[in-house]
Amino acid sequence: MKTKTPWLFILFWLFVSFLTLFPIYWLFVISVKPAVELFSTPEVLLTKVYWQNYIDVLNDATLRRYMMNSLIISSCNALLCTLLGFLACYALSRFDLGGKESIFFWTITNRMAPPAVFLLPLFLLLTQVYKIGDFSLADTRTGMILVYCTFNLPFAIWTLRPTVDGIPKELDEAAYVDGASPFKVITEVVFPLARPGLAVTLILTWVFAWNEYLLAATLTNFNARTLTTGLSEYVTTTGTEWGIMAAISVFTLIPALIVFSLVQRHIVAGLTFGAVKG
Amino acid sequence: MQSKTLGWLLLAPTLIILFFFGVVPFLYVLWVSFHQWNPFAADPGMSFNWATNYRQVVFDAQFMASLGVTAAFVFFAVVSELIVGYLLAQAFMKDFPGKAIFRTIHTLPLIMAPIIVGSIWKLMTTPSIGIIPHLLHNWFGYDLNIGQSAAAAFIVTIIMDVWHWTPLVTLTLIAALVSLPPDPFEQAQIDGANKRQIFWHITLPMIRPAILATVFIRLMDALRTVDEVLMLTGGGPGSATRYVGVHIYKEVFPRTNYGYGSAISVIVLYLTIVACWLLYVSLIAPRTSKKG
Amino acid sequence: MKIANKLGASVLALIVATGGAFADDAFWAEAAKPYQGVVLHGVTESTPPSNYVKDVLAPEFEAKTGIKVEIETTSWDQMYDKAIKDMEAGTGIYDMVYIEQDIIYAYLSRDFLVDTTQLLKDHPELKAPTYDEANFTTFANYFKGDKGDLFGIPMEAFIKVYLYRTDLFNDPEVQAAFKEKTGKDLKPATTHEEYTEIADFFTQWGKDHDEQLWGTTAQAHTGHPASWYEFFESVAPTYGVYSWGIDAGNNYAASVANGGTMNSDEAKAAMKWWLHLRDVAPPESNQSTWTEVATTFAAGRAAQGLVYGENAAWVASDETKSRVVGNVGVALPPLSDGVLADAESGKGYIGYYDGGAFGLPVTSKNKEASMLFLEYIAQNEVQPDWAVAGSRITNTATYDDPKVQDLDKKLNGYFTMLKDQGRLFAGAPAYPFHAQVREATAPIFYQILTGAIDPDTGLDQMAAKAEEELTALGYRK
Repeated sequence: MKTKTPWLFILFWLFVSFLTLFPIYWLFVISVKPAVELFSTPEVLLTKVYWQNYIDVLNDATLRRYMMNSLIISSCNALLCTLLGFLACYALSRFDLGGKESIFFWTITNRMAPPAVFLLPLFLLLTQVYKIGDFSLADTRTGMILVYCTFNLPFAIWTLRPTVDGIPKELDEAAYVDGASPFKVITEVVFPLARPGLAVTLILTWVFAWNEYLLAATLTNFNARTLTTGLSEYVTTTGTEWGIMAAISVFTLIPALIVFSLVQRHIVAGLTFGAVKG
Repeated sequence: MQSKTLGWLLLAPTLIILFFFGVVPFLYVLWVSFHQWNPFAADPGMSFNWATNYRQVVFDAQFMASLGVTAAFVFFAVVSELIVGYLLAQAFMKDFPGKAIFRTIHTLPLIMAPIIVGSIWKLMTTPSIGIIPHLLHNWFGYDLNIGQSAAAAFIVTIIMDVWHWTPLVTLTLIAALVSLPPDPFEQAQIDGANKRQIFWHITLPMIRPAILATVFIRLMDALRTVDEVLMLTGGGPGSATRYVGVHIYKEVFPRTNYGYGSAISVIVLYLTIVACWLLYVSLIAPRTSKKG
Repeated sequence: MKIANKLGASVLALIVATGGAFADDAFWAEAAKPYQGVVLHGVTESTPPSNYVKDVLAPEFEAKTGIKVEIETTSWDQMYDKAIKDMEAGTGIYDMVYIEQDIIYAYLSRDFLVDTTQLLKDHPELKAPTYDEANFTTFANYFKGDKGDLFGIPMEAFIKVYLYRTDLFNDPEVQAAFKEKTGKDLKPATTHEEYTEIADFFTQWGKDHDEQLWGTTAQAHTGHPASWYEFFESVAPTYGVYSWGIDAGNNYAASVANGGTMNSDEAKAAMKWWLHLRDVAPPESNQSTWTEVATTFAAGRAAQGLVYGENAAWVASDETKSRVVGNVGVALPPLSDGVLADAESGKGYIGYYDGGAFGLPVTSKNKEASMLFLEYIAQNEVQPDWAVAGSRITNTATYDDPKVQDLDKKLNGYFTMLKDQGRLFAGAPAYPFHAQVREATAPIFYQILTGAIDPDTGLDQMAAKAEEELTALGYRK
């Protein structure tokens, strides 16, 4: 509503951004220092830049494969969870299902389990139970996509529920009156209105899958290893390769940023109300 | 209303996946929790021991202490994230130059894997060679030593968590705020309500479900925190940051104490559910009393 | 992963240039015939010796036999967890698992591993002419069962040595100052008192000259088992407290009251000595695991320290990682009276001899092909370059190789010490409950480090806790 540029406001954001960025800047600093310089009095500003870590990372074919696995697993998982979560929320919101509030609460309990102890049953299930002939889900991307649903699907349902509930029922009722099919109502009436919520859910489920470490470390061996498990390979008894780890992390920011910018537009595609002020 | 069958069909894939990958493993853990089982004990097999593991938990000072520090950690971390996250989300509701860039910057910490976040903060806070102790020493003469001071380590884990996860709160609350219908606010302004009244009587009630969902997620994730803390302090100094996630990890991984570790996990899961249920009931009640 | 091992890459080039023409090539091709198309899977920790296996030996083996070998490298705790889960559940994912010396007893107690001696007896056609158990150094004995059969093929071995900075110790100005202060000549310490004196001196020197220099390293992390290991494997033995102070022959007693030594006066003296060193060590020491200790030393921040041997080579020779290249001296750790005699007679030891082997899980589906690979990496012929890449020696003949002797000079005699004095060092005690007792007592140990408990009370509590855990596990009756 105001027309003049809010300088104070921008100053505030610059400050917040500084706090946010400093650790990331430091990550970059670590990535462009030779290991020998890490254990000495720190300098805030970089004086010289050492690119060898990046060259090493770029030349490593294994890492590219891990990056690909990470991208595929987290993207498929995020899409799957957002879609299923959206449908589940629509069901919970629009249908008079018996015990639906209990089901809603139950879904989230799947995310609460302390992960360390669930690794053993998941390992046993994937290697020995959920298999057909010689094909088991262990060490496959499909397996990881499904396993990640245990924490991402509840998350999707919980973040989407307020959004779907907030879309007035009158809208889809009107569409039904006009003779639309449930499919049409979901895709053409509810979906567009839920877009900001869906975008946020997609981003965050993607992030959770992208960053997951413990499950991937235990349940993958050769074929479906992800970048985070690759990182742990640099923590060794003869020296943690901080520089390489940092360089890989800087690289992981790139695909993440692309995914973010693709999805973020849809958050703003929602309306912004000048009236809502803090 | 539509036929219930369609509703169940829409829910079915979710229920099936969660059953096979959530419920079945849980039943296994529950079963193990009633056994004495350490593969490197003199008797490496599983032997049923009734509720001995659960009885033992009560006398486990280490575990009780761990619950205590975890509660404190989760409380301070989640409350800070909620307050900061909400203020930032509100600030993003305004239009200002460079907003898209600022928002992207603000989401960057989210895309860092916990193991990396732990590494960065470890390198930034290592006594004498980390940048933060260095600057604190130069500016204030204060020697930050997270390897020695329990309070310092505790606070650093909270700051790390707030840095890492506040953007999640901001993003979910932005999604909630942009989805709000404009009418009540316009009406309130016409009625001459001030900002505070609008916040307490309109904004807050309307985004309560979103806040609830966010608090839940952060609450349960903070309870499960393992990687960052393990990397940063290893649970130390002493047991100062041995949060339940870390405690369980150490019980199950190096100590291979599968039976007892399962019992602790079941208890932690139970406590989490109870805590969340209480929160849910207390916050959801006002919501369902209203329409929709 | 690959990058961790730049040395390995250059070595690979060397091998491609010179090698490939061993007389026994025919054997490998012939023996591997039945196993064409087999893919072997191994899991190991990501260390230079393991990376050498992955990047150099595995491809070489594949070229000769057609058997593909995939090695999964991961972090230390993940590696154990994955190997144990696989073997416990009988999944058969792995055909080779890395066995650190300290977990072999746990694996043997569970019959997780194949008896390789027996396997070769049953399948004489698998026995390579260049493979012989007699080639190994005595380190292989750690991987033998009751009957003397070999259950793991040694792939790395190190001793935890006393490193000191030759540039500082030989600096006349420093020597004069030390003489003036203590009335003694500056030379590597042989007793604990001398070591403390030198440590105090250099820490003070660093302060006085405003240098980033301290008198010693300390692997004293307050939340990571590395500190526990430094005390029980490297410090306590030099005070005559062996096998963690637990007496296996006496119903696994740990406390003095029951006949153990975990809280003996010697153990308490050792703890106080070490805590003092921690106080004069660089401030990062209470966040230091084995990784950071080596890095601290390599960064030139400590004048002396106990450092794991696997780091000795890069600290002394890799300029991209170390500031003290060419200035690293090697000595035996400082000792109490009688400890050396104990070690000579086999009753005790003066420090930690660590390392690891590759074992063949009984759950493996490709035991024969896997055995071939294990024989391949155990040949004398492949050892020298591997030794250079990973500063590890497992075969006696390797000591005499010119490349190794060259490197030995750069390392100021580390390999010679490993060869001549290695027998004075010992691996972890023969306990199948290694990690269990460590984790049970570690929380108390960390509290001693933070000062929440005084050392005497702390060690008493640890001894009691160790006995409690051993009772719960069923070892102590």
